[in-house]
Amino acid sequence: MLFGQGISRRTLLRQSIVSAAALPLITRLSSQALAATKGTVQFADIGVGDPGGDWSKYTAASGYGVNLVAFGNAPSAILNVLIAGGGQGTYDIINIVGGMQKPLVENNLIDEIDTARMPNWAKDSFVQKFLAPGTPGFDFIGYDNKIYGVPTVIQGDSFAYLPEATGGELTSYGALFDPKFKGYVALEDNYTTAGQKTALYLKAAKLATINDPHDMTPGEIKAVVDFLIEKKKEGQFRVIWNSFEQSVGLLVNKEVYVMDCWEPMVFVANSKGVKAVYAKPAEGYLLWAMAAYIVKNPNRSKEQTDAAYALLDFMLGGWYGAKITSLRGYMTNPQAVDYAKANSGDFSADEAAKVEAITKGVEAKLAQGGTWQNRWPTNVETYESEWARFKAA
Amino acid sequence: MSARAVDPVERAGGQAAMALPAAFVTFFLLIPLALTIVVSFWERAGFKLKPAFTLASYLEFLGGVRLLVLERSLVAAAISTAIGLAIAYPIAYYLARHVRRELARSVLFLFSVPFLVNYVIRTFAWTYLLGRTGPINAALLATGLTDASVDWLLFSDFSVQIGFVTSYMPFMVFPLWLSISGIDRRLTEASWILGANPWRTFLRITLPLSLPGIFAAAIFGFVGAFGDSAVPIILGGVGYQMIGNSITSTLDVLNYPLAAAMSSVVIVAMLALLGIWFLAFDLRSFLGKILRWRV
Repeated sequence: MLFGQGISRRTLLRQSIVSAAALPLITRLSSQALAATKGTVQFADIGVGDPGGDWSKYTAASGYGVNLVAFGNAPSAILNVLIAGGGQGTYDIINIVGGMQKPLVENNLIDEIDTARMPNWAKDSFVQKFLAPGTPGFDFIGYDNKIYGVPTVIQGDSFAYLPEATGGELTSYGALFDPKFKGYVALEDNYTTAGQKTALYLKAAKLATINDPHDMTPGEIKAVVDFLIEKKKEGQFRVIWNSFEQSVGLLVNKEVYVMDCWEPMVFVANSKGVKAVYAKPAEGYLLWAMAAYIVKNPNRSKEQTDAAYALLDFMLGGWYGAKITSLRGYMTNPQAVDYAKANSGDFSADEAAKVEAITKGVEAKLAQGGTWQNRWPTNVETYESEWARFKAA
Repeated sequence: MSARAVDPVERAGGQAAMALPAAFVTFFLLIPLALTIVVSFWERAGFKLKPAFTLASYLEFLGGVRLLVLERSLVAAAISTAIGLAIAYPIAYYLARHVRRELARSVLFLFSVPFLVNYVIRTFAWTYLLGRTGPINAALLATGLTDASVDWLLFSDFSVQIGFVTSYMPFMVFPLWLSISGIDRRLTEASWILGANPWRTFLRITLPLSLPGIFAAAIFGFVGAFGDSAVPIILGGVGYQMIGNSITSTLDVLNYPLAAAMSSVVIVAMLALLGIWFLAFDLRSFLGKILRWRV
């Protein structure tokens, strides 16, 4: 999961450096923004939804520019910015990992989405296929049978490993707990990712009675944490990582051989010459989606709201989807593949092939299933306190 | 000798000059601290906070694993402070007693150079240096001192202390140098003339007179390490937490009263430590040296 604990200072610094290096591009895009005479949509994003700074197609169609602002993904960061930080008056859209509807809706911070205002919504078969009401996937975009989020990314997570060190293919989350790799395993510091993956394994291996890893009872959470503490005391884990850079470093420096992580970390490790593989576990995947929400702001003009909807519709379109898939490695929407193939001016043949491969790969993950991540489970406080017990043990 | 009569205009000017920092401290320090303490007694009603007077958050904190985190934080900060003092004091002593003041200032400036690099990045650098495949382990293996990589160099108490000491020890050198260099050399010379050896002179003269600097340095080192949240995450391994990490974690589930209760306990603990410092040592003896040095 991206930025599960918020953006680290190092990430922020790196982004600042990248931003400075990209000044010429920014200048060019600023001139595009100036060309957007009608106004600017304020778009807060956790770092995934930025199409390389290029919003020209949206601007050309709507007359509006986009001001993208970095945004944390931790629940407290989101709520603090929107409530105490004046975010409701600042941002039109926030694009974060979904599943935050309960605290956002109950704090009156986001608007229900009128899907009829987005022509691309009806074309997004992924919504009906993976995020339909009544399914766990719906929890990433909906609440109380209403739609609040527009899905911008859909993904399935498992774990990474170094095949040369592990001695072959790993096909089960059991590798994270295999004594063969004692001291060479890392977990993410996140109870809704590492915790749920552990639950998925314990349930599949019949090592614990867990009805639904997606939303565990206090007793089930305790069983998961007891198991993790037992493994921790045996010296199974080398570290619990907290940031993208840290986890990439663990793989690249071969500090660990098996790591609970996100797939882009494998892409980065591979690009640095380290042979890392993202596992296809028999137990399935930790499935999740990003959602773009319209921030509730009674003072927002009708024109500005229209522009926000136009941007959401643009994000459901082929160009944006293909661009994000190409840049970030995540599946986006069904139009992305065809758009990339049909528009060689925008996407090279290699990029189009990459978009198709990633999309098919994630679709296969979703077809296999697993457990949908639950960012705000019923017993979220028990999750947090039990995870604190694991870390303090 | 009669005291000089204070001009009312001068007095009013002095009070006005004090008003701005007093207002700043009140609005940006005292009021937020007071609000934190007040919220720690409130109840939660869904996602809202309800004014009340309940000790539930304190009981949850003091009765759970988070108290262990507080204890660990105090111990880890105390250890790093002791190590920092053990390193910083000889450096400060040498600079104050055996190096020309101009050169000492240059060396002190060098101690501030690492702070030009973001401390998170500096901390990350240790993961490379201390890692299984890092240069230190490579050197140990190459020299035959070990036949396998030394795992406890990284993601351990050792690496956390390395992170703390390298982050906060340089801050400790400055007050120590200031304190030692302010000691009247005639006192140590008198001790020597009266027959005390250098070690005895140090123990009976220099060390006691530099205690205000030691405690100022200790406060700098302790508060820095105690409040650190990046070093434990980056260098601490499997779930190493300081109290700041634990407070952040409770905020992630929007448990503001619990976070406020933990913060309040930390504030009280730090105030108690500062209180002991002020009771045991006359702050003016330290500040006076600063003023003399500046003049």
